[in-house]
Amino acid sequence: MTVTPVNAECASTGSAHEEPGGAVEMSMREAINSALHTALREDPRTLVFGEDVGRLGGVFRVTDGLWHTFGEDRVFDTPISESAIIGAAVGLAMNGFRPIPELQFDGFAYPAVDQIVNQLARMHYRTRGAVTMPVTVRLPSFGGIRAPEHHGESLEALFAHVPGLTVVAPSTPHDAHHLLLRSVRTDDPVIYLEPKARYWDRGPVGRRNDEAPGGTVEPIGASRVVRAGRHATLIAWGAMVRRCLQVADLAAEDGVELEVIDLRWLKPIDADGLAASVARTRRAVVVHEAPLTAGLGAEVAALVTERAFRDLAAPVQRVTGYDVPYPAGPLEPRYLPTNDRVLLAVQRTLEY
Amino acid sequence: MTERTFTLPDLGEGLVEARVLEWRVAPGDRVGRNEPLVELETAKSAVEIPSPHAGVVTRLHVEEDQLVRVGDTLVTFDLERDSGIVGTVPEEAERTERRVRLRPPEE
Repeated sequence: MTVTPVNAECASTGSAHEEPGGAVEMSMREAINSALHTALREDPRTLVFGEDVGRLGGVFRVTDGLWHTFGEDRVFDTPISESAIIGAAVGLAMNGFRPIPELQFDGFAYPAVDQIVNQLARMHYRTRGAVTMPVTVRLPSFGGIRAPEHHGESLEALFAHVPGLTVVAPSTPHDAHHLLLRSVRTDDPVIYLEPKARYWDRGPVGRRNDEAPGGTVEPIGASRVVRAGRHATLIAWGAMVRRCLQVADLAAEDGVELEVIDLRWLKPIDADGLAASVARTRRAVVVHEAPLTAGLGAEVAALVTERAFRDLAAPVQRVTGYDVPYPAGPLEPRYLPTNDRVLLAVQRTLEY
Repeated sequence: MTERTFTLPDLGEGLVEARVLEWRVAPGDRVGRNEPLVELETAKSAVEIPSPHAGVVTRLHVEEDQLVRVGDTLVTFDLERDSGIVGTVPEEAERTERRVRLRPPEE
Protein backbone atom coordinates (compact mmCIF):
# COMPACT_ATOMS: atom_id res chain seq x y z
CA MET A 1 0.00 0.00 0.00
CA THR A 2 1.36 3.39 -0.94
CA VAL A 3 1.35 5.86 1.90
CA THR A 4 0.61 9.40 0.84
CA PRO A 5 0.50 12.30 3.28
CA VAL A 6 -2.94 13.81 3.56
CA ASN A 7 -1.60 17.31 3.00
CA ALA A 8 -0.10 16.33 -0.35
CA GLU A 9 -3.48 15.22 -1.61
CA CYS A 10 -5.36 18.38 -0.87
CA ALA A 11 -2.73 20.73 -2.17
CA SER A 12 -4.85 21.22 -5.29
CA THR A 13 -7.69 22.73 -3.26
CA GLY A 14 -5.43 25.58 -2.27
CA SER A 15 -7.20 26.14 1.02
CA ALA A 16 -6.05 23.50 3.43
CA HIS A 17 -3.52 24.44 6.03
CA GLU A 18 -1.50 22.19 8.21
CA GLU A 19 -2.36 21.77 11.85
CA PRO A 20 0.03 20.74 14.60
CA GLY A 21 0.63 17.02 14.68
CA GLY A 22 0.35 16.56 10.93
CA ALA A 23 -3.40 17.05 10.75
CA VAL A 24 -4.78 19.21 7.96
CA GLU A 25 -7.90 21.31 8.29
CA MET A 26 -10.39 20.85 5.50
CA SER A 27 -14.10 20.57 4.80
CA MET A 28 -15.78 17.17 4.64
CA ARG A 29 -16.18 17.71 0.91
CA GLU A 30 -12.45 18.20 0.57
CA ALA A 31 -11.71 15.29 2.90
CA ILE A 32 -13.70 12.91 0.70
CA ASN A 33 -12.11 14.39 -2.41
CA SER A 34 -8.68 13.84 -0.90
CA ALA A 35 -9.53 10.21 -0.03
CA LEU A 36 -10.69 9.62 -3.61
CA HIS A 37 -7.40 11.05 -4.89
CA THR A 38 -5.55 8.63 -2.61
CA ALA A 39 -7.68 5.66 -3.64
CA LEU A 40 -7.19 6.34 -7.35
CA ARG A 41 -3.48 6.95 -6.92
CA GLU A 42 -2.66 3.91 -4.82
CA ASP A 43 -4.49 1.30 -6.89
CA PRO A 44 -4.89 1.41 -10.69
CA ARG A 45 -7.91 -0.89 -10.42
CA THR A 46 -10.02 1.78 -8.71
CA LEU A 47 -12.53 3.69 -10.83
CA VAL A 48 -14.86 6.60 -10.04
CA PHE A 49 -18.03 7.03 -12.06
CA GLY A 50 -21.56 8.36 -11.82
CA GLU A 51 -23.74 11.23 -12.92
CA ASP A 52 -21.73 14.46 -13.37
CA VAL A 53 -18.74 13.18 -11.39
CA GLY A 54 -16.29 13.59 -14.29
CA ARG A 55 -16.01 16.81 -16.21
CA LEU A 56 -18.24 18.76 -13.82
CA GLY A 57 -16.62 17.39 -10.66
CA GLY A 58 -19.91 16.44 -8.99
CA VAL A 59 -22.88 18.55 -8.02
CA PHE A 60 -21.23 19.17 -4.63
CA ARG A 61 -17.72 19.39 -6.12
CA VAL A 62 -16.78 16.23 -4.22
CA THR A 63 -15.09 14.67 -7.26
CA ASP A 64 -13.52 17.96 -8.33
CA GLY A 65 -10.23 17.53 -10.17
CA LEU A 66 -10.31 13.72 -10.40
CA TRP A 67 -11.24 13.68 -14.07
CA HIS A 68 -8.42 16.11 -14.88
CA THR A 69 -5.88 14.21 -12.80
CA PHE A 70 -6.68 10.61 -13.64
CA GLY A 71 -8.33 10.87 -17.06
CA GLU A 72 -11.64 9.67 -18.37
CA ASP A 73 -10.67 6.00 -18.43
CA ARG A 74 -10.74 6.03 -14.63
CA VAL A 75 -13.13 8.88 -13.80
CA PHE A 76 -16.13 9.13 -16.04
CA ASP A 77 -19.67 10.38 -16.43
CA THR A 78 -22.49 7.89 -16.83
CA PRO A 79 -25.96 8.16 -18.30
CA ILE A 80 -28.75 9.02 -15.87
CA SER A 81 -29.44 5.41 -15.02
CA GLU A 82 -28.66 4.39 -11.45
CA SER A 83 -29.40 0.77 -12.20
CA ALA A 84 -26.80 0.83 -14.97
CA ILE A 85 -24.27 2.55 -12.71
CA ILE A 86 -24.43 -0.22 -10.12
CA GLY A 87 -24.78 -2.92 -12.78
CA ALA A 88 -21.59 -1.65 -14.38
CA ALA A 89 -19.87 -1.61 -10.99
CA VAL A 90 -20.83 -5.26 -10.44
CA GLY A 91 -19.52 -6.28 -13.86
CA LEU A 92 -16.30 -4.32 -13.39
CA ALA A 93 -15.76 -5.86 -9.96
CA MET A 94 -16.25 -9.34 -11.42
CA ASN A 95 -13.43 -8.50 -13.82
CA GLY A 96 -10.96 -7.34 -11.21
CA PHE A 97 -11.71 -3.65 -10.83
CA ARG A 98 -12.47 -1.84 -7.58
CA PRO A 99 -15.25 0.60 -8.52
CA ILE A 100 -16.29 3.60 -6.43
CA PRO A 101 -19.57 4.58 -8.09
CA GLU A 102 -21.58 7.58 -6.96
CA LEU A 103 -25.36 7.71 -6.86
CA GLN A 104 -26.01 11.40 -6.99
CA PHE A 105 -28.66 11.61 -4.28
CA ASP A 106 -30.22 9.29 -1.69
CA GLY A 107 -33.60 9.31 -3.41
CA PHE A 108 -31.98 8.35 -6.70
CA ALA A 109 -30.74 5.11 -5.16
CA TYR A 110 -34.16 3.49 -5.45
CA PRO A 111 -33.82 2.70 -9.17
CA ALA A 112 -30.54 0.93 -8.32
CA VAL A 113 -31.94 -1.17 -5.48
CA ASP A 114 -32.45 -4.18 -7.77
CA GLN A 115 -28.78 -4.21 -8.77
CA ILE A 116 -27.62 -3.48 -5.21
CA VAL A 117 -29.78 -6.13 -3.54
CA ASN A 118 -29.93 -8.84 -6.20
CA GLN A 119 -26.40 -8.60 -7.59
CA LEU A 120 -23.95 -6.48 -5.61
CA ALA A 121 -24.87 -7.72 -2.14
CA ARG A 122 -25.02 -11.42 -2.88
CA MET A 123 -22.49 -12.14 -5.63
CA HIS A 124 -19.89 -13.25 -3.11
CA TYR A 125 -22.40 -15.60 -1.47
CA ARG A 126 -23.81 -16.82 -4.78
CA THR A 127 -20.36 -17.78 -6.08
CA ARG A 128 -19.43 -19.51 -2.81
CA GLY A 129 -16.77 -16.91 -2.22
CA ALA A 130 -15.15 -17.18 -5.64
CA VAL A 131 -16.08 -13.64 -6.73
CA THR A 132 -15.61 -10.64 -4.43
CA MET A 133 -17.38 -7.31 -4.82
CA PRO A 134 -14.93 -4.58 -3.73
CA VAL A 135 -17.40 -1.82 -4.56
CA THR A 136 -17.93 1.32 -2.48
CA VAL A 137 -21.17 3.08 -3.38
CA ARG A 138 -20.98 6.75 -2.43
CA LEU A 139 -24.43 8.09 -1.63
CA PRO A 140 -24.93 11.74 -0.59
CA SER A 141 -27.58 11.26 2.07
CA PHE A 142 -29.82 12.66 4.77
CA GLY A 143 -31.50 16.05 4.74
CA GLY A 144 -30.91 19.56 5.92
CA ILE A 145 -30.10 21.41 2.70
CA ARG A 146 -33.59 22.68 1.77
CA ALA A 147 -33.51 20.69 -1.46
CA PRO A 148 -36.42 19.25 -3.47
CA GLU A 149 -37.96 15.80 -3.16
CA HIS A 150 -35.60 12.79 -3.35
CA HIS A 151 -32.72 14.88 -1.99
CA GLY A 152 -33.13 14.41 1.76
CA GLU A 153 -33.75 10.76 2.47
CA SER A 154 -32.14 8.37 4.93
CA LEU A 155 -31.78 4.87 3.49
CA GLU A 156 -29.56 3.30 6.13
CA ALA A 157 -32.18 0.92 7.48
CA LEU A 158 -33.06 -0.28 3.98
CA PHE A 159 -29.45 -1.16 3.16
CA ALA A 160 -28.57 -2.44 6.64
CA HIS A 161 -31.37 -4.97 6.20
CA VAL A 162 -29.74 -6.49 3.13
CA PRO A 163 -27.39 -9.40 3.90
CA GLY A 164 -23.99 -8.87 2.33
CA LEU A 165 -23.85 -5.08 2.57
CA THR A 166 -21.74 -3.01 4.94
CA VAL A 167 -23.14 0.45 5.72
CA VAL A 168 -21.19 3.41 7.05
CA ALA A 169 -21.90 7.12 7.65
CA PRO A 170 -19.18 9.57 8.75
CA SER A 171 -19.94 12.72 10.73
CA THR A 172 -16.60 14.58 10.56
CA PRO A 173 -14.04 15.40 7.84
CA HIS A 174 -11.51 13.10 9.52
CA ASP A 175 -13.87 10.13 9.53
CA ALA A 176 -15.14 10.94 6.06
CA HIS A 177 -11.61 10.64 4.74
CA HIS A 178 -10.56 7.54 6.62
CA LEU A 179 -13.82 5.60 6.60
CA LEU A 180 -13.98 6.04 2.83
CA LEU A 181 -10.46 4.65 2.42
CA ARG A 182 -11.31 1.85 4.82
CA SER A 183 -14.37 1.06 2.69
CA VAL A 184 -12.47 1.16 -0.59
CA ARG A 185 -9.79 -1.17 0.73
CA THR A 186 -12.18 -3.90 1.83
CA ASP A 187 -13.23 -6.63 -0.61
CA ASP A 188 -16.91 -6.41 0.33
CA PRO A 189 -19.54 -3.98 -0.97
CA VAL A 190 -19.97 -0.91 1.21
CA ILE A 191 -22.74 1.67 1.11
CA TYR A 192 -21.04 4.93 2.13
CA LEU A 193 -23.59 7.53 3.22
CA GLU A 194 -22.33 11.13 3.05
CA PRO A 195 -24.15 13.68 5.24
CA LYS A 196 -24.50 16.35 2.59
CA ALA A 197 -25.53 18.97 5.15
CA ARG A 198 -22.03 18.60 6.61
CA TYR A 199 -20.06 18.84 3.35
CA TRP A 200 -18.96 22.38 4.18
CA ASP A 201 -18.13 21.78 7.85
CA ARG A 202 -14.42 22.07 8.47
CA GLY A 203 -12.26 20.06 10.82
CA PRO A 204 -8.81 18.53 11.20
CA VAL A 205 -8.05 15.44 9.15
CA GLY A 206 -5.18 13.52 10.68
CA ARG A 207 -3.13 10.57 9.67
CA ARG A 208 -4.35 7.27 10.95
CA ASN A 209 -2.56 4.45 12.63
CA ASP A 210 -3.37 2.10 9.77
CA GLU A 211 -1.57 4.37 7.32
CA ALA A 212 1.69 4.20 9.23
CA PRO A 213 4.11 1.41 8.36
CA GLY A 214 3.28 -1.58 10.54
CA GLY A 215 0.14 0.12 11.81
CA THR A 216 -2.95 -1.90 12.65
CA VAL A 217 -6.10 -1.58 10.61
CA GLU A 218 -9.09 -0.29 12.50
CA PRO A 219 -11.86 -2.86 12.54
CA ILE A 220 -14.99 -2.25 10.55
CA GLY A 221 -17.82 -1.70 12.99
CA ALA A 222 -16.15 0.45 15.65
CA SER A 223 -18.19 3.31 17.08
CA ARG A 224 -16.66 6.35 18.73
CA VAL A 225 -17.46 8.13 21.98
CA VAL A 226 -17.30 11.76 20.90
CA ARG A 227 -18.26 13.17 24.28
CA ALA A 228 -18.15 11.45 27.63
CA GLY A 229 -20.98 11.80 30.15
CA ARG A 230 -22.59 9.87 32.96
CA HIS A 231 -26.35 10.52 32.96
CA ALA A 232 -27.51 9.23 29.56
CA THR A 233 -26.09 8.17 26.19
CA LEU A 234 -27.13 9.83 22.92
CA ILE A 235 -26.55 7.57 19.90
CA ALA A 236 -26.46 9.08 16.41
CA TRP A 237 -24.70 9.02 13.05
CA GLY A 238 -24.13 11.32 10.09
CA ALA A 239 -25.53 14.82 10.40
CA MET A 240 -27.34 14.08 13.67
CA VAL A 241 -24.08 13.70 15.60
CA ARG A 242 -23.62 17.46 15.64
CA ARG A 243 -27.23 17.90 16.74
CA CYS A 244 -26.53 15.58 19.68
CA LEU A 245 -23.37 17.46 20.61
CA GLN A 246 -25.41 20.67 20.69
CA VAL A 247 -27.98 18.99 22.92
CA ALA A 248 -25.19 17.79 25.21
CA ASP A 249 -24.01 21.40 25.54
CA LEU A 250 -27.54 22.50 26.45
CA ALA A 251 -28.00 19.65 28.92
CA ALA A 252 -24.74 20.61 30.62
CA GLU A 253 -26.30 23.99 31.44
CA ASP A 254 -28.81 22.05 33.53
CA GLY A 255 -26.19 19.88 35.20
CA VAL A 256 -26.95 16.82 33.07
CA GLU A 257 -23.92 15.15 31.54
CA LEU A 258 -24.72 13.39 28.29
CA GLU A 259 -22.46 10.91 26.54
CA VAL A 260 -22.57 11.09 22.74
CA ILE A 261 -21.73 8.09 20.58
CA ASP A 262 -21.10 8.43 16.86
CA LEU A 263 -22.13 5.00 15.62
CA ARG A 264 -20.23 5.46 12.31
CA TRP A 265 -20.72 1.89 11.05
CA LEU A 266 -24.45 1.22 10.69
CA LYS A 267 -23.83 -2.37 9.73
CA PRO A 268 -22.24 -4.06 11.51
CA ILE A 269 -23.34 -2.08 14.60
CA ASP A 270 -20.94 -1.80 17.52
CA ALA A 271 -23.21 -3.54 20.04
CA ASP A 272 -20.37 -3.98 22.54
CA GLY A 273 -19.55 -0.28 22.43
CA LEU A 274 -23.19 0.64 22.99
CA ALA A 275 -23.54 -1.79 25.89
CA ALA A 276 -20.36 -0.47 27.51
CA SER A 277 -21.66 3.09 27.33
CA VAL A 278 -25.09 2.20 28.71
CA ALA A 279 -23.41 0.30 31.53
CA ARG A 280 -21.95 3.68 32.53
CA THR A 281 -24.97 5.91 31.93
CA ARG A 282 -27.95 3.51 32.39
CA ARG A 283 -30.00 5.45 29.83
CA ALA A 284 -29.99 5.64 26.03
CA VAL A 285 -31.62 7.88 23.41
CA VAL A 286 -31.10 7.11 19.73
CA VAL A 287 -31.53 9.97 17.23
CA HIS A 288 -31.97 9.68 13.48
CA GLU A 289 -33.54 11.56 10.58
CA ALA A 290 -35.26 8.57 9.00
CA PRO A 291 -38.89 7.77 9.85
CA LEU A 292 -39.53 6.04 13.18
CA THR A 293 -41.09 2.77 12.16
CA ALA A 294 -38.54 0.04 11.39
CA GLY A 295 -35.79 2.65 11.36
CA LEU A 296 -32.28 1.80 12.50
CA GLY A 297 -33.16 3.21 15.92
CA ALA A 298 -35.29 0.11 16.48
CA GLU A 299 -32.25 -2.10 15.86
CA VAL A 300 -30.11 0.00 18.19
CA ALA A 301 -32.77 -0.13 20.89
CA ALA A 302 -33.07 -3.89 20.52
CA LEU A 303 -29.31 -4.42 20.72
CA VAL A 304 -28.98 -2.22 23.80
CA THR A 305 -31.88 -3.98 25.45
CA GLU A 306 -30.48 -7.44 24.67
CA ARG A 307 -26.99 -6.60 25.83
CA ALA A 308 -27.64 -4.25 28.72
CA PHE A 309 -31.15 -4.91 30.00
CA ARG A 310 -30.12 -5.03 33.64
CA ASP A 311 -28.12 -1.83 33.34
CA LEU A 312 -31.00 0.20 31.93
CA ALA A 313 -32.85 2.55 34.27
CA ALA A 314 -35.37 3.44 31.54
CA PRO A 315 -36.55 2.13 28.18
CA VAL A 316 -34.43 3.21 25.20
CA GLN A 317 -35.99 6.31 23.61
CA ARG A 318 -36.07 7.09 19.90
CA VAL A 319 -36.10 10.62 18.44
CA THR A 320 -36.59 10.42 14.69
CA GLY A 321 -38.24 11.84 11.63
CA TYR A 322 -41.93 11.12 11.25
CA ASP A 323 -43.63 8.33 9.31
CA VAL A 324 -44.20 10.55 6.29
CA PRO A 325 -42.38 11.06 2.98
CA TYR A 326 -39.43 13.41 3.48
CA PRO A 327 -41.00 16.88 3.38
CA ALA A 328 -40.26 19.82 1.11
CA GLY A 329 -37.41 22.13 2.12
CA PRO A 330 -39.32 24.73 4.13
CA LEU A 331 -40.78 22.00 6.37
CA GLU A 332 -37.43 20.39 7.19
CA PRO A 333 -37.05 22.13 10.56
CA ARG A 334 -40.37 20.60 11.63
CA TYR A 335 -39.39 17.14 10.50
CA LEU A 336 -35.80 16.76 11.64
CA PRO A 337 -35.11 16.08 15.33
CA THR A 338 -34.76 19.36 17.22
CA ASN A 339 -32.92 20.20 20.42
CA ASP A 340 -36.20 20.15 22.34
CA ARG A 341 -37.33 16.80 21.01
CA VAL A 342 -34.03 15.21 22.03
CA LEU A 343 -34.06 16.98 25.40
CA LEU A 344 -37.61 15.76 26.08
CA ALA A 345 -36.55 12.19 25.34
CA VAL A 346 -33.60 12.59 27.70
CA GLN A 347 -35.93 13.91 30.40
CA ARG A 348 -38.21 10.90 29.93
CA THR A 349 -35.27 8.59 30.63
CA LEU A 350 -34.19 10.65 33.63
CA GLU A 351 -37.57 10.60 35.33
CA TYR A 352 -38.71 7.10 34.34
CA MET B 1 -10.70 27.60 -7.61
CA THR B 2 -12.47 25.90 -10.46
CA GLU B 3 -12.87 27.49 -13.87
CA ARG B 4 -16.01 26.92 -15.89
CA THR B 5 -17.04 28.26 -19.26
CA PHE B 6 -20.60 28.76 -20.37
CA THR B 7 -21.56 28.40 -24.02
CA LEU B 8 -24.63 29.69 -25.80
CA PRO B 9 -27.28 27.05 -25.15
CA ASP B 10 -29.72 25.77 -27.73
CA LEU B 11 -32.38 28.45 -27.78
CA GLY B 12 -35.00 26.19 -29.32
CA GLU B 13 -37.34 26.83 -32.22
CA GLY B 14 -34.52 26.18 -34.67
CA LEU B 15 -32.63 29.31 -33.67
CA VAL B 16 -28.89 28.95 -34.24
CA GLU B 17 -27.53 32.38 -33.32
CA ALA B 18 -28.20 35.47 -31.25
CA ARG B 19 -26.88 38.98 -30.82
CA VAL B 20 -25.55 40.18 -27.47
CA LEU B 21 -27.69 43.16 -26.48
CA GLU B 22 -26.33 43.87 -23.04
CA TRP B 23 -24.05 42.21 -20.53
CA ARG B 24 -25.48 42.34 -17.03
CA VAL B 25 -22.11 41.42 -15.54
CA ALA B 26 -18.53 42.57 -16.02
CA PRO B 27 -15.24 40.78 -15.40
CA GLY B 28 -14.58 40.69 -11.66
CA ASP B 29 -18.26 40.69 -10.74
CA ARG B 30 -19.55 38.10 -8.31
CA VAL B 31 -22.72 36.54 -9.65
CA GLY B 32 -25.20 34.18 -8.02
CA ARG B 33 -26.78 31.19 -9.66
CA ASN B 34 -29.88 32.19 -11.69
CA GLU B 35 -29.04 35.87 -11.48
CA PRO B 36 -29.18 37.83 -14.77
CA LEU B 37 -26.11 37.22 -16.91
CA VAL B 38 -26.71 38.58 -20.37
CA GLU B 39 -29.52 39.82 -22.59
CA LEU B 40 -29.58 38.34 -26.06
CA GLU B 41 -31.65 39.08 -29.13
CA THR B 42 -32.68 36.26 -31.40
CA ALA B 43 -34.67 36.40 -34.62
CA LYS B 44 -37.75 35.93 -32.42
CA SER B 45 -37.26 38.02 -29.33
CA ALA B 46 -34.97 39.42 -26.68
CA VAL B 47 -34.21 36.92 -23.91
CA GLU B 48 -32.39 37.22 -20.62
CA ILE B 49 -30.05 34.35 -19.85
CA PRO B 50 -29.57 33.57 -16.14
CA SER B 51 -26.20 32.52 -14.77
CA PRO B 52 -25.83 28.74 -14.50
CA HIS B 53 -23.20 29.07 -11.77
CA ALA B 54 -22.36 31.02 -8.65
CA GLY B 55 -18.92 32.51 -8.82
CA VAL B 56 -16.77 35.31 -10.13
CA VAL B 57 -16.90 36.33 -13.79
CA THR B 58 -13.34 36.25 -15.11
CA ARG B 59 -13.85 36.85 -18.82
CA LEU B 60 -16.52 37.86 -21.32
CA HIS B 61 -15.79 36.22 -24.66
CA VAL B 62 -18.22 38.25 -26.76
CA GLU B 63 -18.76 41.97 -26.96
CA GLU B 64 -22.09 43.73 -27.07
CA ASP B 65 -23.72 43.86 -30.48
CA GLN B 66 -21.68 40.82 -31.61
CA LEU B 67 -23.34 37.70 -33.02
CA VAL B 68 -22.83 34.36 -31.27
CA ARG B 69 -23.73 30.91 -32.52
CA VAL B 70 -25.09 28.08 -30.40
CA GLY B 71 -22.08 26.41 -28.75
CA ASP B 72 -19.88 29.53 -28.80
CA THR B 73 -18.29 30.39 -25.48
CA LEU B 74 -19.97 33.36 -23.79
CA VAL B 75 -18.29 33.72 -20.44
CA THR B 76 -15.77 32.16 -18.05
CA PHE B 77 -16.43 31.83 -14.33
CA ASP B 78 -14.27 31.11 -11.36
CA LEU B 79 -16.58 29.00 -9.26
CA GLU B 80 -16.81 29.60 -5.57
CA ARG B 81 -14.78 26.86 -4.02
CA ASP B 82 -17.40 25.23 -1.87
CA SER B 83 -20.51 26.00 -3.84
CA GLY B 84 -22.77 23.08 -4.61
CA ILE B 85 -25.31 23.07 -7.39
CA VAL B 86 -28.23 21.67 -5.40
CA GLY B 87 -29.44 22.98 -2.07
CA THR B 88 -28.04 25.23 0.62
CA VAL B 89 -27.30 24.65 4.26
CA PRO B 90 -29.26 27.17 6.32
CA GLU B 91 -27.45 29.08 9.02
CA GLU B 92 -28.21 27.23 12.19
CA ALA B 93 -29.92 29.96 14.13
CA GLU B 94 -31.67 27.24 16.09
CA ARG B 95 -28.35 25.91 17.31
CA THR B 96 -28.92 26.95 20.89
CA GLU B 97 -32.66 27.36 20.74
CA ARG B 98 -34.43 25.45 23.45
CA ARG B 99 -37.49 25.48 25.67
CA VAL B 100 -37.09 22.17 27.47
CA ARG B 101 -35.15 22.23 30.72
CA LEU B 102 -33.77 19.09 32.32
CA ARG B 103 -33.91 17.98 35.92
CA PRO B 104 -30.80 15.97 36.82
CA PRO B 105 -31.46 12.58 38.42
CA GLU B 106 -31.15 12.30 42.18
CA GLU B 107 -27.90 10.64 43.10
